[in-house]
Amino acid sequence: MEGLNLVATALAIGLAAIGPGIGIGIIVAGALQAMGRNPEMQNTLVTYMFIGIAFTEALAIFGLLISFMIAFGVIS
Amino acid sequence: MEALGLNPWLFLAQLLNFGVVVGLLWYLLYKPVLKMLNSRTERIEQSLKDAEQVKLQLANAKRDYDAEIAKARQEAAKIVAQAQERAKSQESEIIAQARREADKVRDEARVSAVQERDALLREAKGKIAELVTLTASQVLASELKSRGHDKLIAESLAALDRRN
Amino acid sequence: MSLRMRILLSIVVMIVVAVISRPLMYSGDPHVEVAAEALFQITPGIPFTNSLLMMLVVDVFLIGLALLVTRKMQDVPRGLQNVMEVILEAFYNIFRNISPKFVDRAFPLVATIFLYVLVSNWSGLIPGATSIGGCVPKYPEYNNEYTTCAPGYALIPFGRPPSTDLNFTLALGLISFGFFQYWGFKTLGLSYLSKFFNLNGIMSFVGIIEFISEIMKPIALALRLFGNIFAGEVLIAIIIFLVPLIVPMPIYVFEIFIGFIQAVVFALLTMAFLSIATTSHDHDDEHHGEAKGHAH
Repeated sequence: MEGLNLVATALAIGLAAIGPGIGIGIIVAGALQAMGRNPEMQNTLVTYMFIGIAFTEALAIFGLLISFMIAFGVIS
Repeated sequence: MEALGLNPWLFLAQLLNFGVVVGLLWYLLYKPVLKMLNSRTERIEQSLKDAEQVKLQLANAKRDYDAEIAKARQEAAKIVAQAQERAKSQESEIIAQARREADKVRDEARVSAVQERDALLREAKGKIAELVTLTASQVLASELKSRGHDKLIAESLAALDRRN
Repeated sequence: MSLRMRILLSIVVMIVVAVISRPLMYSGDPHVEVAAEALFQITPGIPFTNSLLMMLVVDVFLIGLALLVTRKMQDVPRGLQNVMEVILEAFYNIFRNISPKFVDRAFPLVATIFLYVLVSNWSGLIPGATSIGGCVPKYPEYNNEYTTCAPGYALIPFGRPPSTDLNFTLALGLISFGFFQYWGFKTLGLSYLSKFFNLNGIMSFVGIIEFISEIMKPIALALRLFGNIFAGEVLIAIIIFLVPLIVPMPIYVFEIFIGFIQAVVFALLTMAFLSIATTSHDHDDEHHGEAKGHAH
């Protein structure tokens, strides 16, 4: 792998992970607070929490894919 | 593809790691899962049994109830019949007594009437005798004075005799 | 020996095992390939890939499981029937929470997606799935002396989890997409389109954004599944390449968890998209009218 490709690989996943990391943290914090206040809603909240996490996480996954593609020479 | 290939060390590493993980999970996860499943099985079994029992109890209760109702109905009918019978016998008894009483009253009345008549008659006879005696004595007294009245005295006495 | 000593000793033993395993069990460069590799060509141009083979295995496994579970159904569930009943019942309840109206129509598809994705996610963790394979000629200089393949030949594993093949995940995403589009049209009729295309001032721009995000839905579904599972496979391959023993174990546990979560998420999102597609997004006046009609 060339030098710039290496940097691009690392940057792709590194930058892509920042937002979703914060986002998932906020989602889980909110869900936990809600569960603490209203424990009987737990099942529904967990379901929607995972849906929210999945949406947020998708962005990181896109970054990861770009990173893989650069790393394994699919795009260069 | 030319031949069967194998990466023996990779395979061994995968086998060991996976085996240990599965073993650990088996040990850590198997027990609670098994407990949960067993409790579920038990719960289902219990509820099925309970349902069966409830059904049985219900049928029993229904049968008991029906029997009880039938018995009660029978008893009621019996009571009614008894009451009717008793009422009938009482009725005839009352009628008979009333009849007896009426007879008694009638008899008593008859007897007293007869007695009264007798008493009246006796009294009347006494009074008449007295009257006759009085009349006779007066007549006799006057007759003694005049013999002409012998016939009248005899006639009065004859009339008295006839009446008696 | 005290508990503390025992823990300390086991940690030391684990570190020693991990360190020793590195030179002993070194397995060469990790096999990482973004696309599924062809085992042979069915007809020229149509390759039979290793993910296709694994998919058939998953098919057979699931059909066998279904037959095994339903062969002797009992009133009081035991064993496998109990396990499957618990899983399906739990999912039925979750899906009913999301869309009570469509749960019965969607459940066959959504539950199948869940089971299929779950098994296919976990299929890559089975030992040997990615280490036993066939040798195919690569370029002459290529040589991985740790495999049993001759020099110039590369080892192509027989097994590759279907979820790490973008073809499979995209197909699944499109099936899900077609499903909720169909029900959206069927329940809302042509007014379903008004969500995307209308001439209603600012709402027309919102419609364009909605349209793009609608198109992105199957792609996001496909890439999410592919990315997560593929990243997991690569992670395990690289960790085994670095430290063959002990260290990959927590990664294995993590991947079992991730595989489950991704299967759940795929099914849940299909259900959630269905719920969104079948809900009227018309304007406030109609919405209020509806709200009056139904007691909420």
